[in-house]
Amino acid sequence: MAHIFNMALNILIKKGEVNMAKAYNAGVKEYRETYWMPDYTPKDTDILACFKITPQDGVPREEIAAAVAAESSTGTWTTVWTDLLTDLDYYKGRAYAMEDVPGDDTCFYAFIAYPIDLFEEGSVVNVMTSLVGNVFGFKALRALRLEDVRFPIAYVMTCNGPPQGIQLERDILNKYGRPMLGCTIKPKLGLSAKNYGRACYEGLRGGLDFTKDDENVTSQPFMRWRARFDFVMEAILKAEQETGERKGHYLNVTAATSDEMMKRAEYAKEIGAPIIMHDYITGGWTANTQLAQWCQDNGMLLHIHRAMHAVIDRNPHHGIHFRVLTKILRLSGGDHLHSGTVVGKLEGDRGATLGWIDIMRDSFIKEDRSRGIFFDQDWGAMPGVLPVASGGIHVWHMPALVNIFGDDSVLQFGGGTLGHPWGNAAGAAANRVAVEACVEARNMGKELEKEGKDILTKAAKHSPELAIAMETWKEIKFEFDTVDKIDVAHK
Amino acid sequence: MNKPKIYVGIDKDINGGMTSIGKIIRDAYVFDIIEDTQTCEGWNLAGIDSLLHKVNDRWDEYGCLASNLPKELSEKHFAIHDKAIKKAKEAGWSGEIETDDEE
Repeated sequence: MAHIFNMALNILIKKGEVNMAKAYNAGVKEYRETYWMPDYTPKDTDILACFKITPQDGVPREEIAAAVAAESSTGTWTTVWTDLLTDLDYYKGRAYAMEDVPGDDTCFYAFIAYPIDLFEEGSVVNVMTSLVGNVFGFKALRALRLEDVRFPIAYVMTCNGPPQGIQLERDILNKYGRPMLGCTIKPKLGLSAKNYGRACYEGLRGGLDFTKDDENVTSQPFMRWRARFDFVMEAILKAEQETGERKGHYLNVTAATSDEMMKRAEYAKEIGAPIIMHDYITGGWTANTQLAQWCQDNGMLLHIHRAMHAVIDRNPHHGIHFRVLTKILRLSGGDHLHSGTVVGKLEGDRGATLGWIDIMRDSFIKEDRSRGIFFDQDWGAMPGVLPVASGGIHVWHMPALVNIFGDDSVLQFGGGTLGHPWGNAAGAAANRVAVEACVEARNMGKELEKEGKDILTKAAKHSPELAIAMETWKEIKFEFDTVDKIDVAHK
Repeated sequence: MNKPKIYVGIDKDINGGMTSIGKIIRDAYVFDIIEDTQTCEGWNLAGIDSLLHKVNDRWDEYGCLASNLPKELSEKHFAIHDKAIKKAKEAGWSGEIETDDEE
């Protein structure tokens, strides 16, 4: 290869297009000379990123912002004469703006624009390999966080996106005008697939729309996937027959290899399951995109779990904000995504959560710093993703959940269903009665969060299951503060 | 060979008996599958599993819901479970325990 490059270089030298001294004098100039461009106006086709940068002491902001732009784009390509064979000015990332972080002098926001052609079409893997790749280990940085990314519509249109989307899911399931209800199944007695299927049946029979595999359940020796799929499908069919409603269970197809994942997905389809599940961070974005495209081709719904997200998104100074992980998922593909709950006990600032819920569902999201959204995001006609509110929630949260999440959501009560003293079906019925009461009250113009107690109390007169649920959970309060707040809240 | 796991009995179970097995046993009382003095102490898991299937068969007659039970059974169900809930709360159980470990 070396002689080919030398030949090319000689030709360029003869043509006067390359200065020899310049060609062999690379790698020592400051980043800001090349990558800090405060006069640059981002193009509609650029991918834009906002990083929160915490530099090492004494490193100038312009220099470190430029370094981040360089090291997340073409910086690693350019230390030798080959930069002169590449159109660096076209492909490089450009740090074009900086802002203070409200209430935090240790860091600042840097805005970087990348030309769309720097990235492979339809590959969030390729985009993120650059944006959150080697740059995160850069020594001049104390910490680095990718706060937001604007994907231009031109790039969005190269991605497959959600397999079915919200409207088609509603049509497939024939469920309209209310949030859907789910529950993660914990084995009722030991880990037999049959008893597991029974727990699913009870939840679905009691009024849930979905049950869900725990994310840790894949195909361990105590319950292999095929047996679980078979017994769960039996449960779905029985519940459908008895209730007259479509039902589903998120069959977890996450596996050690994508071949195995696809084998399980194919089997789920073969037995008639309407929906499968994947853990998109631990399973990987390549596998997720592959699975999502297969789901689209095969009329399957895809539920997405987000195990490991908190490792990446919880530190306010380092990692990737969940709103970016949300955008990655919408591009890679998924019909549901766990979103946090706001009112439950898991992490979740209200404004930020509302922000990424909008990112999941809406077709156009305007910049809104009060929700942590740094850029306008146009999804065009790409279908939306249903946010899944899950974690530490129960019937008393229902009015707030309906108010916050609206109809296009899945409210997932795990312990809030299975923990009902009368059993799984009773827990499911309590939640179903509660959600229907809240939706009806909202539709009549009532303020759910103010009048929630009255609404539930009235509904419980006709539902002993709900009355007992309200007795069970009424004392619970969640008063933990969130660690990762919107930056304006740190002021 | 592993030693079989033996149930401690609903009266000695954790959380005042508000457990998966406790719920099965109480439903078995409701449907007269076992005497209401039977705590199941000393039963192995196969015995509890067998009881679960009998309870499930009875619940299937009513769509798994207490609100579908005929009046007499409904009253019996309410009385047995009401007593159990009070006992469990006295033993420190609350709904929060049930929602502790999930996303």
